[in-house]
Amino acid sequence: MQHRRTIVASILILVILACTVDLAFSPAVGCCLSGRSSSSAVPLITETLLLSCIALAAVAAAVRFREAGAQTSRRLEEAREEAKRLLKVIDNTSAVIYLRDSDGRYLLVNRQYEELFAIRREDIVGLTDHDLFPPAMADDFRANDLKALAHGSPIQMEEIAPHADGPHTYITVKYPIVDATGRAYAICGISTDITELKRAEERARQLNTELEQRVRDRTAELEASTRELDAFAYSVSHDLRAPLRAVAGFSEVLLEDYADRLDKDGREYLNRVLAATDRMGGLIDDLLDLSRAARVELARSPVNLSQLSEHVVAELRAAEPDGERSVEIRVEPDLKAFGDPALLRLVLQNLIGNAWKFTAKKPDARIEIGSAAGDGEQVFFVRDNGAGFDMRYLDKLFVPFQRVHSFDEFSGSGIGLAIVWRIIARHGGRVWAEGEPGAGAAFHFTLPPRGDEGAAEASREAR
Amino acid sequence: MTNAPILLVEDRPDDALLTRRAFAKAGLGDRLLVVSDGEACLAALLPEEGMPRLSPAFVLLDINLPKVGGLDVLRQIRADERTRHLPVIILTTSAERRDIRDSYRFGANSFVRKPVSYAEFAETVRVLSAYWLAVNQPCPPDPAC
Repeated sequence: MQHRRTIVASILILVILACTVDLAFSPAVGCCLSGRSSSSAVPLITETLLLSCIALAAVAAAVRFREAGAQTSRRLEEAREEAKRLLKVIDNTSAVIYLRDSDGRYLLVNRQYEELFAIRREDIVGLTDHDLFPPAMADDFRANDLKALAHGSPIQMEEIAPHADGPHTYITVKYPIVDATGRAYAICGISTDITELKRAEERARQLNTELEQRVRDRTAELEASTRELDAFAYSVSHDLRAPLRAVAGFSEVLLEDYADRLDKDGREYLNRVLAATDRMGGLIDDLLDLSRAARVELARSPVNLSQLSEHVVAELRAAEPDGERSVEIRVEPDLKAFGDPALLRLVLQNLIGNAWKFTAKKPDARIEIGSAAGDGEQVFFVRDNGAGFDMRYLDKLFVPFQRVHSFDEFSGSGIGLAIVWRIIARHGGRVWAEGEPGAGAAFHFTLPPRGDEGAAEASREAR
Repeated sequence: MTNAPILLVEDRPDDALLTRRAFAKAGLGDRLLVVSDGEACLAALLPEEGMPRLSPAFVLLDINLPKVGGLDVLRQIRADERTRHLPVIILTTSAERRDIRDSYRFGANSFVRKPVSYAEFAETVRVLSAYWLAVNQPCPPDPAC
C-alpha cells in the first residue's frame, strides 16, 4: 500500500517534470514562467535546471515523508508494546493501582483493583469514588488526591477501604502526573493492604497494654505485701518482744527474789527459761535485721569499712564474758566503700561475728579483714582460720535458717549470712565464700563504686 | 539531784511492773509515776488553766500508746511553752529507723531500746536515771513563765 502510493507519487512528479521541460522550450510559456525575454536559450536551461532541482527536492521530501510515516507507525507500535508491558507490571502486583484525572474521574485501574472492588476497567472510566464508595470514604480519597495535586510530589498516607471481611487499611502513595507543559492532569495512587500488619500491631499494642496492666497489678500486690511485711516486722519488733521481755523479766525477778524458795532443779529450769528467751530475743533481732535489710531505703554515702570493722571488733571483745580472748585480728587500714553505713555495719557484724564465733575453739585464732583487686573491682574479704565449712554445703550457706554446724557446736540463728547476702545484693554487689573444714573460711564481697548504684535496683528482685 | 518525779508513760502492765521494780532497785521507786496512755500524760503535763501541773525531772515515753500515740505526745510537749525544755526519753521495744528518726525529729532527747534481758534493762534504767538526774544540767526555769 505504502509502496504503491510512493510509486504513484514518483510518476506524478516525473510527469510534472516532463511538462515543465516542454514548457521551458515553448517561448511564451517560458517567458511567463521565467519572466524574462524568450530570445535567449541559456536562461531557459537555467530555469529548467532550477525546476529540476525543485522537483528533486519534492521527491526527496516525499521520500522523507514516507520514512517519517513509517517511523511514526513504528513508534506507535512501540508505545503500544510498552503500554502492554506496563499494564502487565501493574496487573501483576498485589498493590491496588489507579489513575484518576484532576476531577477525580477514573482513567485506569489495575487488575487487583478490578478484583478487589469487582468492577471492570472498561466500566470504571469516567466514574468517581463517590460512585463507588460510601460518601465519607470517597471524601477522604478525594481529599488525599487534592493533597497530592497540591503537593506536586509523592505523598504517603493511610487509607481505609471496604473489604468482604470488613474495612481494610492501606498504605497509599499518591503523586500527580504532569503533561509536557508541567500541568498536573492526573493522580496516580498505589495502595498496599497493610491490614494484617495493622492487626498484628493492634494485637501487640493490646498485649502491651495487658502486660502493663499486669505489671501494675503485680507491683500493687508487691507493694501491698511489702506494706504487710512492714507491718509484720513492726509488730514483731513491738508486740513479740514485749511478752518475751515479760517472760525474761519475771523469770529473773523470780531468780533474784525467790531463789531461796526454789530448789536446785527449780532454779535450773528458770535458768533454762532465761537462756531460751535470750535466744529468742536474738532470733527476733536477726529476723528484724533480715526484713530491714530488704525493706529500708538505701542511704548511701562513703563508708570507711576499716573503721566500721574496728568498731565491730571492739564490741566483740567487750562482749566477751570471760575477759580477753586471744584472737589475732588484722584490719587493713583505709578500706573505702560506698554504701549504706548502717547496713554495711550489719554485714561486718555478721561476717566478723561469725569469724569470732567459729575461731572460739582455736588456740591461735586469726581473723583478717582486707581487700584484694579482683576482676576490675575491689573485693573485700573477712577471713579466719576457724572451724570452716564443707564446700558441699556452699548453697545452704546464704539461705535463712540453714545451718552448716549443729547448734550444740556453735550457737546462732542461721540468719546472719542471709542478711549479709541481702544487703550486698541490694547494693548491687556480689558475695561468695570459700571454706575448708577445720582450716577456716573466707567471705568475699564487692560493692559497686559511687555513681554505679543503678545496678543495685536491678538486683532488687534478690529481695 | 532534783527531787522531781520521773514520769513513765507505759500501757503494758507487765512492762510497768518490771520498770517499777527496776527503779526500785536503783533506789528511785518512790520517784516513779506511771500513766498508761498518751492522753493521761498530756493531762498531767499540760493541764487546763487552774489545774495543778506535774513538773517531772524527765519523761520516759513509749511510742506505741493507746489514745494519743507517743510521737504525738512528744510533739505536743515540744509545742507548749511550759514543757518545751522538758527532757523526754523514748523508751520502746522498737528499733525501727523510722521510729528513731521521727523521735529525734519531734524533739526527743534520747532514744533507748528496751533490751529483752531484764538484768540489762535494770542496768539501763539505772544508768539512764543517773544521767538525767545527776549528770545532766536541766534547763533553768524561764523567769517569764
